[in-house]
Amino acid sequence: MTVQTEKDWKDIIHRCFRCGYCKFTHDYSDFNCPSYKKFRFETYSTGGRLWLAFGVINGDIEWSEGVANVLYACPTCGNCMENCRFDKFNFMLVDFIEAARAEANRQGFCPENQKFLLERTTNENYFNPYAEENSDNEELKKQYNLPDEAEWVYFIGCTSNYRQKDLRDATLRFLKKAGINFTLIDEHCCTSPLLRTGQLSPVTEFMNYNLQKIKEVGASKVITSCAGCYRTLKNDFAKHDAEHDLEIIHTSELIIQLLKEKKLKFTSEFNKTVTYHDPCHLGRHSGLYEEPREVYKQIPGLELVEMKRNRENAWCCGAGGGVKIGYPDWSIEISKERLEEAKETGATIVSSTCPFCRTNLSDANKAFNMGFEVLDLVEIIDQLDYEINE
Amino acid sequence: MHFPMNNEKILNDLEEIVGKDFASNREEELFIYSLDPGASLPRVVDFVVMPKSVEEVQKIVKLANKEGIPIVPMGGGLTLSGLVLPVHGGIVLDMKRMDNIIEINEMSKYALIEAGVTTGHLLSYLNENYPNLQPPVPDAPSAATVAGNVLIHGSGYLSQKYGDHGSMINGLEVVLPNGDICKVGSCALSDYWFTRGPIPDLIGLFTSSFGTLGIVTKLSVKLFHKPKFRDVVFGLATDFEDIPNILSKVTESGLAEDVLLGMQDKPDWMKGYIFVIVYVTGESEDEIDTNAKVLKKIYRKTNARYMKTPPRIREIYMEKPIFAATAADFRKGGGFEYVGAFLPIENLPKAFKGGAEISKRHGIIPTIGSRLIGQSHSAMAFFSYSFNRADPDDMKNAREALHETNLLALELGGIPWKAELAGQKLILDKMDPNYKKLFKTIRDTLDPNHIMNPGNWEVE
Repeated sequence: MTVQTEKDWKDIIHRCFRCGYCKFTHDYSDFNCPSYKKFRFETYSTGGRLWLAFGVINGDIEWSEGVANVLYACPTCGNCMENCRFDKFNFMLVDFIEAARAEANRQGFCPENQKFLLERTTNENYFNPYAEENSDNEELKKQYNLPDEAEWVYFIGCTSNYRQKDLRDATLRFLKKAGINFTLIDEHCCTSPLLRTGQLSPVTEFMNYNLQKIKEVGASKVITSCAGCYRTLKNDFAKHDAEHDLEIIHTSELIIQLLKEKKLKFTSEFNKTVTYHDPCHLGRHSGLYEEPREVYKQIPGLELVEMKRNRENAWCCGAGGGVKIGYPDWSIEISKERLEEAKETGATIVSSTCPFCRTNLSDANKAFNMGFEVLDLVEIIDQLDYEINE
Repeated sequence: MHFPMNNEKILNDLEEIVGKDFASNREEELFIYSLDPGASLPRVVDFVVMPKSVEEVQKIVKLANKEGIPIVPMGGGLTLSGLVLPVHGGIVLDMKRMDNIIEINEMSKYALIEAGVTTGHLLSYLNENYPNLQPPVPDAPSAATVAGNVLIHGSGYLSQKYGDHGSMINGLEVVLPNGDICKVGSCALSDYWFTRGPIPDLIGLFTSSFGTLGIVTKLSVKLFHKPKFRDVVFGLATDFEDIPNILSKVTESGLAEDVLLGMQDKPDWMKGYIFVIVYVTGESEDEIDTNAKVLKKIYRKTNARYMKTPPRIREIYMEKPIFAATAADFRKGGGFEYVGAFLPIENLPKAFKGGAEISKRHGIIPTIGSRLIGQSHSAMAFFSYSFNRADPDDMKNAREALHETNLLALELGGIPWKAELAGQKLILDKMDPNYKKLFKTIRDTLDPNHIMNPGNWEVE
């Protein structure tokens, strides 16, 4: 079921009882909704947002910048979906918020900062939310000697391609060394930032563009090291008239598969203590919790330690849902809380499997002098020696 | 009546007290405070404020007094009976930033906490740090505050064995309507918040008075030993008339930590049965087994029978707190409200019968139950009415059913619990005039400007 029209809202949104489970961790030990924990007025909980959205639909309160601000002040991390007890609709809570944002946008109340995402992404020079000149990835193809046609496409994603190039290059090196028959496409934004901020006008076109490019190279599998792209390609395309039968794979899934099949063997050690931050898009939104952990555990010398809040209870990094661009100071405050939690574990490295989490955790690490090394899983593997056995 | 006020000036004053981020008159932030999860109609809120300390509460109360603004304290906002919706506008004082657990006294078994601590947080804190202790936990979502629960004479876990949760208060720190900070209970003269007496017991002034006599900022609640093992033993009865005897025999056995009754017509397999749900505890599994056997015998002798508990049902009832709010989605409507009435247990049969009739008359599937309080000294009987929040007529229907149920409870010698405005009026209509006069005298003395949650418990 999709939640894109006003009718969908009206049929379901009033069913939120506002009991408040959405604010907590599973064991109620802490508030785990970043927005409620920051702003504290009831309206900033998911229940509050749903009631506000229902009020707008019902005509009890009018659209305004203030109403839109409440709807947008949420990283859509999905903690609410995990903890809401109404299982007939709890899996749709983030969809409700995104749909309400889409309605805010239609009504002309998209906040200014988030508008940049649309302006930049639809700019023909960019096709990405970072306003970087679009890379058709031909240089990379040459550099890595990639074919024009292949079974796999490595969908780099805008954050890796324009902000986290080390992560991108580590992924390229790994895929190459692993003997994966892959190539790159002239990709445009996967549309995740637009979906999360309710700016839907170009979404279907962008999705179908990317699908067409993937089809042109004859690929049946798409691998990405970006949790946001992964969720969007896997879960959101079909909701926006961009259906496909591609196999969508996160790099952590490939790595654990290779380890299980004994095709990958690490031959050096990584003697450091690492704590893993679950990206919301990979964890709560896609259900991948154990695959990355299994990889870390199989790296010789690496000690994996868990933060108190992990897996379904993980505290968000604060980057998603348009929060990084809309509320930059708050966004790194959220990451700071994550890094403080990481400190309690004794780890020296905070690792994740998402370039956007990596960006925000790194920004907070720097801004607050937290003293960590922040690395993606693939970057850790890039530092290791390993053998690939066919 | 709505109090005239200079909004901007008052907002500035409130911001001075609590900081800019925690005082608001913005429509998008007030909106939810004007609504209740129960069936009450929306009411106007002028400001929401979130204080962090007793001193801030004190300043807010003094400001409200000076400006003549109504002030309504709010915990989790989950009474379902609109008690935190201002009747005459004014300030909603959302207490949830006062969320410190100050002290756990293991030996005297109490928790000293601020008024915004949620029941979930205290439960979780004890589970992690003091696993041998348990707090009173209401049958409410974990976002309910401990203060909110005990100050409305709440009930829930441990009520059978130790009484209603209001009786578990050892002491309070209260900001009185004139801004004075007053301690009641042993804390008035001792560093130990361990008992209500033996001094004139004024804690009662602040329980079930719904914030009309003061704002509680700190409280001590009793904690209890947590036995190592706990289980639930279900019984089935088919005749309402058997209920009092079953309850008496179960409580006389001394084995029941808690006792619940439940009756609902849906799903179909539940229809026609009254479920007797008894929690037993012990220090070993053998003790649990032995206790369960005694209960099975009691069921047989009282015209009930033991029901083997399906794992799914057991899981639901073993969760603490139980997810009672599931009733909100019975009709895919997001809402329910119930009359909880304190009743003498001998009148439970008539209450169950009468409640079922009211439900049917209003086209609502009967969902009725009871929680025993204080070893059958009383029972909190609940009559739950689900409604569709998106349908004003359906909400009106629920309000009418609630009103009829309040009348039924009063007819049966009971007292509606945490009653909404209409229920409060029914209670006052029946109340001894001198009780009302005493209450009014106390209220007028403490709150001459009538700023504390006006509209509630109004004695004419």
